[in-house]
Amino acid sequence: MTSLRQANQNRVTLRRTIITLLVLVAALVIVVGTASLLGSERLPVSNSLCALTTLGTRQCGLTSDHFDILFQIRLPRILLAAAVGGSLATAGASYQALLRNPLAEPYLLGVSNGAAVGTMLALLFFGSLEWSRPLMAFAGALVATFAVYRLARGRVGATPERLILAGVIVTTFLSSIIVFVTTMMDATRIRSFTFWLLGDLSGANTGLLPVPIAVVVVGAIILSLNARSLNLLMLGERDAFDLGVEVGRVRVTIFLIASLLVGSSVAASGSVGYVGLVVPHLTRLSVGSDNRISIPSATLGGALFVIIADTIARTVIAPRELPVGAITALIGAPLFIYLLKRV
Amino acid sequence: MFFNSSRFIKSLSLLLIALLSVSGCSRSSAVLNKPSTNPRRITDDAGREVFLPDRVDRVISLAPNLTEIVFAVGAGRSLVGDTTYCDYPVEAKNIEKVGDTQHPNLERIIALKPQVVLVSTASQLEVFTEQLRSHNIAVFVTDPHDLEGVFRSIEQVGKIVGYMEQATALVSSLRARAMAVDNALKQSPRIRTFYQLSAEPLYTAGHDSFVTDLLERAGADSVTANVPGAWPRYSAEAALAARPDAIILPTGGSMGEGNGTIAKALATSPAAKTGRVYKINDDHLVRPGPRAVEGLEEMARALHPEAFK
Repeated sequence: MTSLRQANQNRVTLRRTIITLLVLVAALVIVVGTASLLGSERLPVSNSLCALTTLGTRQCGLTSDHFDILFQIRLPRILLAAAVGGSLATAGASYQALLRNPLAEPYLLGVSNGAAVGTMLALLFFGSLEWSRPLMAFAGALVATFAVYRLARGRVGATPERLILAGVIVTTFLSSIIVFVTTMMDATRIRSFTFWLLGDLSGANTGLLPVPIAVVVVGAIILSLNARSLNLLMLGERDAFDLGVEVGRVRVTIFLIASLLVGSSVAASGSVGYVGLVVPHLTRLSVGSDNRISIPSATLGGALFVIIADTIARTVIAPRELPVGAITALIGAPLFIYLLKRV
Repeated sequence: MFFNSSRFIKSLSLLLIALLSVSGCSRSSAVLNKPSTNPRRITDDAGREVFLPDRVDRVISLAPNLTEIVFAVGAGRSLVGDTTYCDYPVEAKNIEKVGDTQHPNLERIIALKPQVVLVSTASQLEVFTEQLRSHNIAVFVTDPHDLEGVFRSIEQVGKIVGYMEQATALVSSLRARAMAVDNALKQSPRIRTFYQLSAEPLYTAGHDSFVTDLLERAGADSVTANVPGAWPRYSAEAALAARPDAIILPTGGSMGEGNGTIAKALATSPAAKTGRVYKINDDHLVRPGPRAVEGLEEMARALHPEAFK
């Protein structure tokens, strides 16, 4: 009897998941399309749409400059924005579920800064090897994650307060390392670095673009497959264990994948703030806290959020540009407060 | 509570008052530079009135272009402090360093007892300037937006350090060289040019930069001449759409190997296709000092070789 009801419930959840994700994918397509029509240069709308629908196989009467702007500059940047937003939001959603803490997110936990220090060291010591950046960022994110986790686990276990305190401590410690190294670096490299620290998506047209895209797709799938265990873990580790969840394995998987997501996005774009905190809360408030829906929704929602923020960053004072991190915080904070007040 | 908080605060404030009055005393005796006899009053580029003693022989420069100016007018011996970026002329390297242009050390500056500190707005030291001022150290701010502004800086610095004649002579010889470039280019067509300060992220010279004036004088139409700001962050697609016929890469000086290649967005530009990408020593272009004229000549020769045969 109960199993029948559960099966029925699962079917309802599955249908809801599919509908929610389809709506978000449709929104993503529309936003990607709109964002590729907006920029400091005005492109002819119908020709651009035509070229976009053929995925760049036909030029559709666009001049070669316009074609290059669309496919060499704008679209890679939009894809990178989507990958970065999706990565950070997915990582945030999983941290919040695993650690049962609404404040757990890549930046506050120090994971972003760990990845930033990793990237910085890669730039300093293996400057010419592009591949070293995502690898070192991943390593940095992992080290920071485990440092925070170890610090948070006192004799009484990891309380939410301890966790956030540990995160803040690791974050500030790593920030001071970043400040120290940027001060020591020579002047010509500081400019690009300070920009990068605020989150900057202008490095999209490099050969490394496939890395964050592949990572976000694979990472989001793996974390969504662990969503059931995460649901049970939200009851508490002991209860989850009694219900057959391999707590240790799930925890390691989530930490590894989330570090990979944060590492690849920080290596590609620096520290884009607020996404990992705001987006999972927004999606949870609108689709509920069942991780089977909320984790993939956070991935798509994060992509939407950062694409919109970056479109504002590159158009609002065109032909000059703002760092995307400034915009994500600028629209993220009020949006967050508004939603908190409504609930 | 370990202590009675109100008593603690009271004693803390007493301590603070004591400290403040001590530092106030030392300030007035040690570094106060108000001269006893008729102080000179000079207005700087920030519109501030600066009071200076008649004879100035203790100067600190917080920017490499100002260090170059002090040496060029012949007052190198008055320089008691400069920054780690000050590497020209060679003697500048041996002057005591007070930090780099972005992070000068207040204590060391005070200890060197300068009569005036020269600051360039390019270093973004507004807050620091205020701090120096509050320690009664005269601060002279330069902010040139074109070559004439650079000449004015040279004359003002010359006036401050008492080498007015040398400064005037230097400016007239520099102006003559700028005029020579002007005359040589009378018949030359203007070339649409992009100035790439850095490729990643993409930075250029905007409306307020003196480099925009140098480009104009070198027979170039800077495609970013009307972009607000001095060194704006620039959109890659706007750079691509601008289709410049020539690209200037400031590199090879303090930049070293940096900025030696054009941004990806410029790869399809006519400039890249016809090979009109010119590397110019960045020390001649980003420092609004005497060598800016060398930068002007180098750009003019690169862009219009036919005019200098």
